[in-house]
Amino acid sequence: MKFSIVIYAAPYSSEAAHSALRFARSVIDQGHELYRLFFFGDGVHNASQLAVVAQDENNLQQQWNDLIEKHGIDSVICVSSALRRGVLNQTEANRHDLGTASAYTSSEVAGLGQLVDAAIHSDRLVNFG
Amino acid sequence: MSCLHTISKSPGTQLLESCLKIIASGDAILFIEDGTYYANSARKLEAIDKACKIYGLREDMLARAILTKAADSVELIDTARFVKLCCEHDKIVSWF
Amino acid sequence: MTENSKPQKSRITFISRAAPYGQNKANLCLDMALASAVFEQDVNYIFFGDGVYQILKGQDGSAIESKTLGNALETLELYGIEKIYADRQSLEERDISESELLSGMQIVDSDSITKIIESSDTVFNL
Repeated sequence: MKFSIVIYAAPYSSEAAHSALRFARSVIDQGHELYRLFFFGDGVHNASQLAVVAQDENNLQQQWNDLIEKHGIDSVICVSSALRRGVLNQTEANRHDLGTASAYTSSEVAGLGQLVDAAIHSDRLVNFG
Repeated sequence: MSCLHTISKSPGTQLLESCLKIIASGDAILFIEDGTYYANSARKLEAIDKACKIYGLREDMLARAILTKAADSVELIDTARFVKLCCEHDKIVSWF
Repeated sequence: MTENSKPQKSRITFISRAAPYGQNKANLCLDMALASAVFEQDVNYIFFGDGVYQILKGQDGSAIESKTLGNALETLELYGIEKIYADRQSLEERDISESELLSGMQIVDSDSITKIIESSDTVFNL
């Protein structure tokens, strides 16, 4: 089955982002297709590559990045949510004359059309917030 | 044409009560995250239509020391089964 | 919308349950609905629970240096979203009368909302 997952929650603030990660892993483990991850609102912080966590703690952003890269998952961070929260890829950082890209390159910065597309083309869309 | 409702916040939010206003007979409810605290309150669960299956996410309940307190009407499941439940229902409505 | 050459129509229902201003859920929900309308999907928009506070007339976000959500909601119709509902019981529980509401709202009972959800392909509930 084709799944898409929408993540509204920032990492560490609530359990939801972590739940979404565990769910995404299980979707893949069971051989389903993960059509798209869509990070929206505070959820875009999950794509930040500038996080540093204590050694005995999970780095959720890095775990998302590992999962996305390992399985070649189509992952999107909502552009309007991301820009105002300082989660930028190199293209956006250059465009706005800000030095550093803060987003992992494994996720694409794109608009809500990608969410609508996921709703249309997935058999199941699951929200975590 | 059934629906899986996931509830992920604690009973103080009244999310279950809101969900029950618009749930259809034959839908299912899955408690996850802080929503699992609902699963040990048999009194709150009485309001759920008998035709609606009730599930609780085992991992979240284990973490919260409430696994052994789950009401009899709650079936305990893991994340893998959560994914399967999503396949068994036509759509998922998340309450958060 | 790159993958599909032929546009597909899906019935997408939004249940907006958050009060405005205090958090951004109401705005996120609206943004998703407007995007769905731009891509010509069949959109239902439902104000439920504390979400009915969004449709009070006379909001002025400028008092707290915010955009006025009530004004933004009026764009729903401009984007071609005509199926806009408010839950009767949610209004009653909050002592809100129909005369206090923005125009264009159909007030419905929870049974109708159940049916709308049943007939939808995807539901966003926040």
